[in-house]
Amino acid sequence: MMAERLKKNRTRLIVLGILAVLFVSASQGMSTEDWVITVMRGLAVGAITFLVAAGFSLILGLMDVLNLAHGEMFMLGAYIGWTVYVRPDTFVDALTPLLLLAAGLMLMPVLGVWLGQRPLPGKVNQIWPWLGLAAALALLIYALRQWPLAMWNPGVFAESPATFSLAMSQGTMQLPAAAVATGLSPWLLLMLLGLGSTLLAAALVGMRLRGQTAVSAPYLSKSPLILAGGLALAGVFIFALNDGLTAWLYRLNHTALFALAIVVATAVGGLLGGLIESTLIRPLYKRPIYQIMLTLGISFITIELVRAIWGRPEFTMPKPEMFAGTGAGCGREVVSIVERLANQCATIFLFNGRIRTYNEIFIILMGLIVLVGVWLLLQRTRLGMIIRAGVQDSQMVEALGINVRRVFTLVFSLGVALAALGGVLAAPSIGLSNGMGGQFLLLALIALAIGGLTSYPGAAAGAVLVGLLQQFIIKYGQLGINLPFLAEPFKPSPPLVPASTVLFMVIILLLLPNGLFGRDE
Amino acid sequence: MADDIILETRNLRREFGALVAVNNVSVRVKAGSFHSIIGPNGAGKTTFFNLLSGTLKPTAGQVFFKGKEITHLPVHRAVHLGIGRSFQITNLFPNLTVMENIRLACQAMGRDNFRLFRSHRAFRQYEERAWEIMGKVGLQDKALMLARALPHGDQRKLELGMILAPDPQLLLLDEPTAGMASEQVPELIALIREIQTSGKKTIILVEHNMNVVMRVSDTITVMHYGEVLAEGTPAEISANETVQKAYLGALYE
Ligand SMILES: Nc1ncnc2c1ncn2[C@@H]1O[C@H](COP(=O)(O)OP(=O)(O)O)[C@@H](O)[C@H]1O
Ligand SMILES: [Mg+2]
Repeated sequence: MMAERLKKNRTRLIVLGILAVLFVSASQGMSTEDWVITVMRGLAVGAITFLVAAGFSLILGLMDVLNLAHGEMFMLGAYIGWTVYVRPDTFVDALTPLLLLAAGLMLMPVLGVWLGQRPLPGKVNQIWPWLGLAAALALLIYALRQWPLAMWNPGVFAESPATFSLAMSQGTMQLPAAAVATGLSPWLLLMLLGLGSTLLAAALVGMRLRGQTAVSAPYLSKSPLILAGGLALAGVFIFALNDGLTAWLYRLNHTALFALAIVVATAVGGLLGGLIESTLIRPLYKRPIYQIMLTLGISFITIELVRAIWGRPEFTMPKPEMFAGTGAGCGREVVSIVERLANQCATIFLFNGRIRTYNEIFIILMGLIVLVGVWLLLQRTRLGMIIRAGVQDSQMVEALGINVRRVFTLVFSLGVALAALGGVLAAPSIGLSNGMGGQFLLLALIALAIGGLTSYPGAAAGAVLVGLLQQFIIKYGQLGINLPFLAEPFKPSPPLVPASTVLFMVIILLLLPNGLFGRDE
Repeated sequence: MADDIILETRNLRREFGALVAVNNVSVRVKAGSFHSIIGPNGAGKTTFFNLLSGTLKPTAGQVFFKGKEITHLPVHRAVHLGIGRSFQITNLFPNLTVMENIRLACQAMGRDNFRLFRSHRAFRQYEERAWEIMGKVGLQDKALMLARALPHGDQRKLELGMILAPDPQLLLLDEPTAGMASEQVPELIALIREIQTSGKKTIILVEHNMNVVMRVSDTITVMHYGEVLAEGTPAEISANETVQKAYLGALYE
């Protein structure tokens, strides 16, 4: 038994052995300080990569959907988190229309059943969805343009996101003037938004129903109705309490505000994921090519949207004060880690290496929490049991009487929420840019190829390997590697970093076609 | 509709593009009966099952279960009403143990189905029910084996057990003996028969082994090119000339 197992996993063991040897010899070439810094940075990159990779691989495993928009959901998490954190007034202003829109779209399944039972005469059936769509968009755009929204302006440097970030980190942030409604009364606009969203949902449903025959006794689930009602109600409440809420958020300390940013970005990610799955992906489950094109389309649209709203230039996100202290109590002479953490220092010393509390410690910690949390969810709960079974055979799960579609929506939503969480966590460390999504999706894909496409431990191991590899190469780009037969130390140049991770992936795949932890099919 | 009809289809039709896979099929199945469907490959038997279980939507026609229309019900709702089905290709969770496979099937039906974040071990009664079912299909001593490690015959028994978990009144079995060694077939058929009589269940069986079908069925429906060619008791079917020409003849040539 044991010998057989050894034999079966021989290649895997050899590869792991080589990796260990490589790691040890790479570690020999640098001082302890450098080593500690490099390993911690590698783990931090690994943690962020893992947050993207984990959701991507769950979605791929359960639904066979290659979600190419996953990187952009990561990016969106960062930008949404930034908005809550740096401009809570904008966040509060924008929340109401967004919640109403989401509520309207939530109604789609219900409207589908309702409209499906009321077929219109032929011609009308063909035309009304288009008219409805045009009317809905006109209504929404009209109402949104007048909606009182206090916002930055990416076109003017003094009002750009970068300027607000700077003001916040220097503590010179002023509460910008609240936007006032011009034209129609905001309450009227509120109703127009609700109407427009519902009409939009109806028109989208109508598009799908064209050419279908009437459905006699379809099954109607009530949960979308309840959810839609809750979202709309929340939107109205927030609108009524707008000024008070904004002032309260501005008075919060940055650490609490940052916690809120994390929660909001994750929740929006989850909501968006559920919406994307149930409205866009679901009709395409049997058409994989269209599905790939669709997710690619979503990713381009998201990038353009982000450019239009937040602008093209990169900008930073200030760290919460809990991880930003540099003054008294944080000098070189204070060595104790506990003391430095208590003083909210920006850095601590680990074996003399200067480690940043946010970029390394906090991010790695969050990555570990998610790793364990999702693992518990998968291994210990009924939902996890159903997901694991569904990865193996979703048709059978359905035949056992489980509503697989609902599980699909839930998992898609969970996956996107994890990506968005990764984005908001990464933002204070790596900043915000239009390219961050693509960059981390690539890393996540490499990590999954290395670890095994739909294996959860594989996602974690692959992400850590990719992070470590990347950081070791960057470090050796500074130190240089002493190779035999070369007079000068060899310095890998920055462009070699992505190339080396891809090369590493290719080598692993040649040796282990299913990755380190993937099962063969 | 008579009370003792558990399942009825009216002019059921399904097209795949230009191909009519199921054409105007109207069938009534008596409650508690053993009803077999035979027909050559491509006759539309699997498609017919998919229409009954809700996996596919018909192009036209209706399906009634116990007098209630279920034509457009999603699969999982049909299961909750009491219709269980097996697939022509074995469907199991290969990386779970026999016990886990069956326990999952038992849990799927729990009233608290969507308290999803409860621990999957929190429900003792499911464990007990799982043992009971493993006893029924004779897999108790293999409870801790991984499903993919089971011999093929046992995999089919396991699948049967999983379908039995929700305690369905109607079982749709699509070639359960496919791929089994011929000496194992009678054992599985006897098991199905036992499940039918002891649980007062209705069985609809797709099967190509004529001997088996003739021996165990109460009623046989013969399908050919998507249509019902004949229906009757085994004796009537074997005496039917159209059937002999179109189907039996071809088989025994
Ligand atoms: N999903 C599908 N798409 C297109 N054609 C199909 C599909 N499923 C079945 N068919 C066709 O319908 C016919 C009936 O198939 P099937 O119901 O599987 O027959 P049986 O189970 O009796 O062998 C066959 O010609 C088959 O090729
Ligand atoms: Mg078949």
